[in-house]
Amino acid sequence: MRARRLAVEPRGRPSLVSRIVFPLASVIGAGVLGAILLIATGHDPVDAYLEVLRSGFGSDLTIVRTLISATPLILTGVAAAVAFRMKIWNIGAEGQLYLGAIAASGVALAVGESLPTMPAVALSLAAGATAGAVWASLAALPRAYLHTDEVISTLMLNFVALHLMNYLIFGSVSFWRDTERLSFPSGRFIPETAELPEIWLRLHAGIVIAVIVALFVWWVLRFSTWGFGVRVIGDSPATARYAGFGVSRRIVSILAVSGAIAGLAGAVQIAGTSHALQPGGLAVNLGYTGIVIAAVSRLNPLAIVPVSILIAGLTNAGTALQAQGVPNDLLVLLQGLALLLVAAAEFFLANRVRIVTRPLPTLETAEAA
Amino acid sequence: MNETVVVLTIAGAIVAGTPLALAALGEILTERSGVMNLGIEGMMLVGGVFGVVGALASRDPWIGLVVGALAGIALAAVHAALAVGLRVSQIVSGLALVIVGTGLSSFVGKIPEPPLTDRQAVESFHRLFPPTLVDLPAAGPIVFGHDPIVYVTVALVGAASYYLFRTRAGLAVRAVGEDPATADANGIRVALVRLLHTCAGGALAGLGGAYLTIELTGIWQDGITAGYGWIAFAMVSFSGWRPWRALVAAYVFGALVNLSFTLQIIGVNVPSQLLAVLPFLLTIVVLIVISARQASARKLAAPAALAVPYARESR
Repeated sequence: MRARRLAVEPRGRPSLVSRIVFPLASVIGAGVLGAILLIATGHDPVDAYLEVLRSGFGSDLTIVRTLISATPLILTGVAAAVAFRMKIWNIGAEGQLYLGAIAASGVALAVGESLPTMPAVALSLAAGATAGAVWASLAALPRAYLHTDEVISTLMLNFVALHLMNYLIFGSVSFWRDTERLSFPSGRFIPETAELPEIWLRLHAGIVIAVIVALFVWWVLRFSTWGFGVRVIGDSPATARYAGFGVSRRIVSILAVSGAIAGLAGAVQIAGTSHALQPGGLAVNLGYTGIVIAAVSRLNPLAIVPVSILIAGLTNAGTALQAQGVPNDLLVLLQGLALLLVAAAEFFLANRVRIVTRPLPTLETAEAA
Repeated sequence: MNETVVVLTIAGAIVAGTPLALAALGEILTERSGVMNLGIEGMMLVGGVFGVVGALASRDPWIGLVVGALAGIALAAVHAALAVGLRVSQIVSGLALVIVGTGLSSFVGKIPEPPLTDRQAVESFHRLFPPTLVDLPAAGPIVFGHDPIVYVTVALVGAASYYLFRTRAGLAVRAVGEDPATADANGIRVALVRLLHTCAGGALAGLGGAYLTIELTGIWQDGITAGYGWIAFAMVSFSGWRPWRALVAAYVFGALVNLSFTLQIIGVNVPSQLLAVLPFLLTIVVLIVISARQASARKLAAPAALAVPYARESR
């Protein structure tokens, strides 16, 4: 008599090859699922996928568009990763991004005209980062000193921020609103001096800022004392407390840093892309997508850059696919499926699953044991 | 403010709060077993679209509800497989579920010819009680004036409360949510309990979504839940993971959802954004107050093992 069962064994540190092969395999898996859906609804999957490649990455112009879309995702991804590394679950990048956009456009509108370009841009980006940090602190202080669950408080603050932004443009005649256009409410455009300069075709300098932030955060987490503290608290809060780390203060500082990076994402969107506070263009789940990107990148800021570019290309391709009669929603669905599959691959990366066959104990072996 | 406005406000709050109550009740069952499912919004959306599909195909709103609940279960099962089976981060899996649910529901709505968004309203539920009762002053509209689902929801809340706090099986669920290792040592099958309660949560969220589209709106629109799923998620902690409190909270939030209409009727002009923000602000304030008072913090705390994957071998 033999029994078969599944054995799950931890792998230890996975090899570099498997760290690349597993996520790739899951993306391909999502593609196959998508192809089945496409065939089922009467579309040619090969045509559709070629169109995705072409309209996401096919020409200089589409690459520029993809990089512009990737910029805020890199920043929100890094924002999530830095907090998650300490097991502080900041779900609030979405709202921190809105606050960053509100503050950056406010400062740009107020003082942009009276300053030369460099200081105007710097001031408005700094205002955005500060606003993001302050917004995150609303959740950070209760979390650090009263143990108020940060998952819920940061999530709730997203909706407060969303409605605040909508109020400024749709609900009132605020400083941010373009009062000359009364037909459809719209944000007032910031002066040209407060716009991020373009570096290649229409690609603005935001991508450079995002990549520098990703590199810097990677370096800080890996090599600085502060980053060491973050990793220790994340891996073992008890050890950190025993070693005398100020855990409460670190919770506040990590959420402030995370919020500042998310706020910077909002500021970059204003200074580089929309040039005005436009709720419709900002409220497209950049914060939530950043969280999933961070997870898929295994919280590694260096991996967040390419993953964001991939996701951004996919998103942009959706619009082009619509021209072929494939609903944009299919791409949203595919993105979700890919994220689920990549997350699932994580398990198989960390564990080895085998079918083990072993003889069932007979009377003799049982007696011997 | 005259009497009819008050009566209609309360009656409206109960109806508007019912999808919230269903979804929140589901999440309470899920979270009591130690699984956090952030994907309520996604499950409500697929419940909503499949509810309309079912109701249109069968010309029976009840069938629509069942189909919506099944769709919710299907999505929740994905979360269970990942979060319980593969121990994926529950926050990540839940958020991915929202993305999948958003894409899937909009996609499904466009498949039929003509698309669901261009259809007329589906047939809704009949009132449960005869007109003689409904026409009673005050109590009529508030107590007797609703469709059957409102009463089913109250019954489900009662049943879930009894189940969680008065039965052996409910004790096992709470044990799994508080301390899975101990529960495991006592012969409770942790993974099975979590799987079943995650699916139950999906069923109720799907039911809430289907009720929203079949009864409240009658039609399907992309993203029709408009944040209901997130409010339901907030209500779970707001209510201290207790079904009856969640029902009361749902009616209060239902009143807030309706408040802008009420205020317009009585001629007060308040920005809609201010009203929309109230449920979220209220949740934050209540959470901070609860955690600041140590006694209540202990009594109304989250299940200790919430969102922590359980692996027997790493015990």
